[in-house]
Amino acid sequence: MGVATMSKTHNSQLQVKRFSKAFVWAHAINGIAFIGLYITALPMYTEFFDWLYPLMGGPEGARLAHRVLAVAFILPTFIFLIFDPKGFMNWMKELVTWKKRDLQFFSEFVKELFGFKSKHVKQTFFNAGEKINSLLQIVCAILLIASGFTMWFPDAFPTALVQWGYFLHNVGFGLGFAVVLGHIYLSVIHKNSRPGFTGVITGKVPAEWAKDHYTEWYEEEVKKGNFPDLDDPKNNKKKGA
Amino acid sequence: MATKYVKYVDVTKCDGCRACMVACKNWNDLPAEPQDFLGSMQSHANVTADTWNVLTFVEHENSKGNLDYLFRHSSCFHCTDAACEKVCPENAISYTDKGMVVVDQEVCVGCGYCEQNCPFDVIHLKTYKDENGKEYRKAHKCTMCTDRLDEGLQPACVTTCHTGAMEFGEKDEIISKAEKRVKEIKERYPNAQVYNPQGVGGTHTIYVLAEKPSVYGLPENPKVPTSAVLWKDYAQPIGKAMVGGVAMALAGAFVANKFFDKKNGGQEEDGGGNHE
Repeated sequence: MGVATMSKTHNSQLQVKRFSKAFVWAHAINGIAFIGLYITALPMYTEFFDWLYPLMGGPEGARLAHRVLAVAFILPTFIFLIFDPKGFMNWMKELVTWKKRDLQFFSEFVKELFGFKSKHVKQTFFNAGEKINSLLQIVCAILLIASGFTMWFPDAFPTALVQWGYFLHNVGFGLGFAVVLGHIYLSVIHKNSRPGFTGVITGKVPAEWAKDHYTEWYEEEVKKGNFPDLDDPKNNKKKGA
Repeated sequence: MATKYVKYVDVTKCDGCRACMVACKNWNDLPAEPQDFLGSMQSHANVTADTWNVLTFVEHENSKGNLDYLFRHSSCFHCTDAACEKVCPENAISYTDKGMVVVDQEVCVGCGYCEQNCPFDVIHLKTYKDENGKEYRKAHKCTMCTDRLDEGLQPACVTTCHTGAMEFGEKDEIISKAEKRVKEIKERYPNAQVYNPQGVGGTHTIYVLAEKPSVYGLPENPKVPTSAVLWKDYAQPIGKAMVGGVAMALAGAFVANKFFDKKNGGQEEDGGGNHE
């Protein structure tokens, strides 16, 4: 990952680069398309949201918007893969790497989620929770995109495939919704992980926060000379954490 | 229990006059759909959103090597367990008090889920244009002339049938009539059978067929697609419960965090680092 940017004013504001531009863009397009897809789909999922139809130009407007957003939803994977292949491969590698510390992460995470005292378990670039989120969203995306095609072009597929498409699209909708609720809560509302939210927009996160939450990754970057060593007195670190 | 009524179609008495098609168009005010010659007597390949019943003509070589010219009045079966009703996301499809399956076009959003899940391929979408040229779609199919039934009349197709191939009446009577008729014609049509498929809970149009259903292009064992049952009876409620469960857990987490923050002297906005 990139080079640390020293803040001239205050040390606690020392920022390090966490996400590439490709990641930030891919994530943003993915997120906006995802939310748009859910809004345009809600009245079809439950009649409770039928009041959304007039706002979207009727069912026809909703259908058109859903298809435009569907195309946007497919793009981010390629944006990430083409413009940051190293980051993409690292993501893939992390998703299949599971160690004991990943299981420990979850017991600590539950405490931390509800505000009990917890300790950090050393994590790499993605923590175990983010890996689960990624895996579930990848499964959902595959389900939703594949079944979406059969629903969009029913004449191009055998009837049975179209019929199973409806089922799979529904499964993907429910699962994806539940997962994204957790994802958004943790980034926007939960205070201890909030720097991750600004991070995924600016690409940068506070160095101390990065060191606490992704210790192994941070230490590796220090070794590579990319990030400042916060334990070095030269960096004038106030021992907290 | 209220008396159940069904339509009876004895295809062996049909002479292929197609008066049922005309009566249907006439009563239901359906526009004509000019067709090219399809290579047989049959006028339309299948029922459409504007042609709710079609007389099908099948040239069939029977077991004795002779030609049977098979006619069938085809329209919506009005399943007791209708797949179209099950999959409709807007509850636009419902059963009447007589068990007929009808579409409320005011509620229909034209998604076409019904079209893709009907085991008999009888429900179809019609494209309309509003005054601004914007296109929208609505699902249409045979209503069993529900408006006539409500007035104590019989379906238009039944009323017009001049050979007695069609009747409308009490279900139990019709079924015994159909079974009796099958016995009568067994000698000439060894494969004759009553078609009242149980995979969809029985239908409100009961046929006496001269041949196996597949000869008429009908499914031998039609049923509500398994995918539709898993989708509507399992995936949807489980999905909703899951979303609700997660939302409640997060609300709990939010409240717990506020509570602990208060206990710890209201220290917030610590940048996320000081919770160890």
